[in-house]
Amino acid sequence: MNAVVLGKIRSGEESTAAPAGGISITNYLLVVAQLGLLVLLFRQFAIESAAFLRLALLSFGGFAIHALLPMRLRLPFFLLLSLAAMVVILNLANAVSIIAIGITLIGICHLPLSFTLRGILLVAATTLLAALRANWIDGPVADAVWPILGSMFMFRLIVYFYDLRHDTTPVSPVRTLSYFFVLPNVCFPLFPVIDYKAFRRNYFDDDAYRIYQVGIDWMVRGVIHLILYRFVYYHLTLAPSEVTGPAQLSQYLVANFLLYLRVSGLFHLIIGLLYLFGFRLPETHNRYLLAASFTDFWRRINIYWKEFMQKVFYYPAVFKLRHLGTTKAMVIATMYVFLLTWFLHAYQWFWLRGTMLLVIQDILFWLILGALVVVNALYELKHGRNRTLGAPTRTWRDVAVITLKRYATFWFICILWSFWTAGSLTTWWSLWPAVSGPYTIGMLLYPGIVFAIILVGSIERSPVRNTRSSQTASTEWMRARLATVTALIVLVGVSIEGVHSQLDPEVATTVHSLRSSRLSRLDTAELERGYYESLLSVNRFNSQLWEVYTKKPETWLDVQNAGLKRFTSDFAQTELIPSFVSESNFGTISTNRWGMRDGDYELTRPPDTFRIAMLGASAVMGWGVGDGETFEALIESRLNLEGERYDNFEILNFGVPGYQPLQQLVALEKALRFQPNAILYIATGREPSRAAWYLVEAVQKGIEIPYPRLREIVAESGLLASMDETTARRRLEPYNREILAWTYDYIVEQSLAQAALPILVFLPQVREGTWQEETPETLRLAAAAGFDVVDLSDVYEGQDIATIRLAEWDDHPNRRGHELIASRLYEAIAERKVVIFTGSPRAK
Amino acid sequence: MSDDIQSTIKDFILREFLPGEDPDELTHSTPLVSGGILDSIATIKLVLFLEERFGIKLQAHEADAEHLDTLAAIAQLVHSKRA
Repeated sequence: MNAVVLGKIRSGEESTAAPAGGISITNYLLVVAQLGLLVLLFRQFAIESAAFLRLALLSFGGFAIHALLPMRLRLPFFLLLSLAAMVVILNLANAVSIIAIGITLIGICHLPLSFTLRGILLVAATTLLAALRANWIDGPVADAVWPILGSMFMFRLIVYFYDLRHDTTPVSPVRTLSYFFVLPNVCFPLFPVIDYKAFRRNYFDDDAYRIYQVGIDWMVRGVIHLILYRFVYYHLTLAPSEVTGPAQLSQYLVANFLLYLRVSGLFHLIIGLLYLFGFRLPETHNRYLLAASFTDFWRRINIYWKEFMQKVFYYPAVFKLRHLGTTKAMVIATMYVFLLTWFLHAYQWFWLRGTMLLVIQDILFWLILGALVVVNALYELKHGRNRTLGAPTRTWRDVAVITLKRYATFWFICILWSFWTAGSLTTWWSLWPAVSGPYTIGMLLYPGIVFAIILVGSIERSPVRNTRSSQTASTEWMRARLATVTALIVLVGVSIEGVHSQLDPEVATTVHSLRSSRLSRLDTAELERGYYESLLSVNRFNSQLWEVYTKKPETWLDVQNAGLKRFTSDFAQTELIPSFVSESNFGTISTNRWGMRDGDYELTRPPDTFRIAMLGASAVMGWGVGDGETFEALIESRLNLEGERYDNFEILNFGVPGYQPLQQLVALEKALRFQPNAILYIATGREPSRAAWYLVEAVQKGIEIPYPRLREIVAESGLLASMDETTARRRLEPYNREILAWTYDYIVEQSLAQAALPILVFLPQVREGTWQEETPETLRLAAAAGFDVVDLSDVYEGQDIATIRLAEWDDHPNRRGHELIASRLYEAIAERKVVIFTGSPRAK
Repeated sequence: MSDDIQSTIKDFILREFLPGEDPDELTHSTPLVSGGILDSIATIKLVLFLEERFGIKLQAHEADAEHLDTLAAIAQLVHSKRA
């Protein structure tokens, strides 16, 4: 028995129900020690963001004070902490905006008017905010405010107003403000729904120490979900075009569904954090991978959403329609709820992104799921369903039956999920020919793993959920403590580089990859695709990429929309507009009479001049910096200051935004007319894939391909203009390397024929952890073709990426980035000056 | 009186939703809604039972965890409606 007790405990009630938040010194120190380990864990695995780490430090520090305060001060302290978090994470001006708008909305709920009038006023206020959010009218609200304000109010205001109508419990302003401005939302805009009554009812309704401990359990569980998510996201996800057989199809379906681990992980973190302040909220997810039917799935996944819909829409509809008969009322109400779920999903998207989300798959997904739940509910209405009070074991027959049900449900949900999250209906449809692909032993891998997990999960029956932990048996309680502390220590231990580097190299590399938060190779490709094609399939919450775009201001100008290019009738489709001047946020962008983002040059090379033609895309053209600040211009200036052997050095910038490797062939033809001494081809990530994808685009658009070998490859692959993009890419995938190899050969041959030295410079994207899985092959093909290769893969190493790129959603190098590239490339040129400036072009 | 109500409700819940379960496991504080025993279908069935058995009329907003989460809470709701 601990002698000293912190906080107030009601006399004689220490070990029974409803204590008032007291905790012994030993238990307090135990909790603080575990929170210390959690901070280490967050840091070691870079959980979420730097902002989250700040929030966690603030919250845990706040907890250390909060747990010692008298009960009457705890809620006000929590509110102050939540408001402080807003200022720390968002800044003072944004915090003031959120608080002012929030208090206005809450104030309307409490005006001394009829419920209907207050409802009308709320709708009017929300409409005004929506107009501001959509930029229909200008207002003094920053873009960063909307997702956070939206997450706090878009659904909670509905719940609160609903409860206000029916509830007679006196309103506490501090509790109300705590409910809306709840601490974790400043970092997690995807957590909008909390039930107001549950928030109020479960506040310190159990032993405080036990509440805190459960909060820690949940946060650890959340971190485990997030680490598993990263493993899936980085290492298991496939693009639809990579699905070529049953093995890949099963991997695609499972990985795609398991990406949901991120949502469940974050929800665990958020609720766990709230437990530290006495809010013993119900669980948000309940082993959703073990759902045994569609109704079961709906009850287990995102429980807060289900309960919100049930409370505000389902029950009122059923009660209103009861005169039609209970069954009819339930069927209609269920379909109504799923239709509304789709609508509210679009509504949520609007507040987060500022645009409306109208995607046919979204509507179909919710309607199909709704129909399946209705059929399932009708079955349950007639036959009932198994519920348990927690008897611990099942017979083997029970285990077999429940395992099969869960297995079937899992795969059905995976298929439905793939339908929901696919880029388009045609993309989803193009997955299924893979069923007839090669049947190998590998195709049993994912079905086997899933079966094993479901079987193990089905052996024990689930206990009754959300019981007070003070009612849990002490052995079970101690087992949970042991599991949490062991998980904390093991995870922190493994995360230490000195520890995991001792493991098998492949395991060590995987562990290392899980320690950082970045976009997956597929999302990175999608982000790049945005630059090259101005196309994005981030039109749902279907990838982590949407979060990056959430931060992008509405007014942000992309290179593809800057109006710098014009269409042409040749293979490249576009070129820079000649003699054009444009003012951007980054400075003046002007082109010369030849359509180069550069100063003026004569077609004929002047005497005693060394002339380099630089080919590349937007980074070479210099999107993000003003005239004279591109790395091309900086190197040219420096060569003219420091260069030897020649009176004059010229670097002609043939960079065109969005140009893929095959389009560089057209740029090369233009460049060679200027009699260059060297061709500097600036390559970047995924050259083989991008070369092939452009060929797909050319075929699909019916653009004439002027290169016989490329036409042959198209014919050999069976690529047709009528194919959907996924199938077309899949068809060309075996030829990716060959296409790039031929492209490089062509550039080298043409350059050498014109006595120009071909040099390939590899310049990575300005991003942390950029996926470079195709880079070694690119460099190998370049060397084999006869390029002199300059590898600048490490150009950004040791740099704070945020300081050398334009923005998280636009990773073109900024002025500092261009200076860095110029410096490194100049050094590389200087190292090779004998070859470049004196050597005659080498034969292949 | 409240005990009678609770006992009647407990019998109904055991019979309808928890056949074969040990009655002693279902206590006055077992969480029924948040514990996953009373899902939406079961809640509607329970509401119909309460209305018919005790001659009361329930509102949609009363079909929630605050009013139906435990046997004690349900008995309290019935009691208040009959008062």
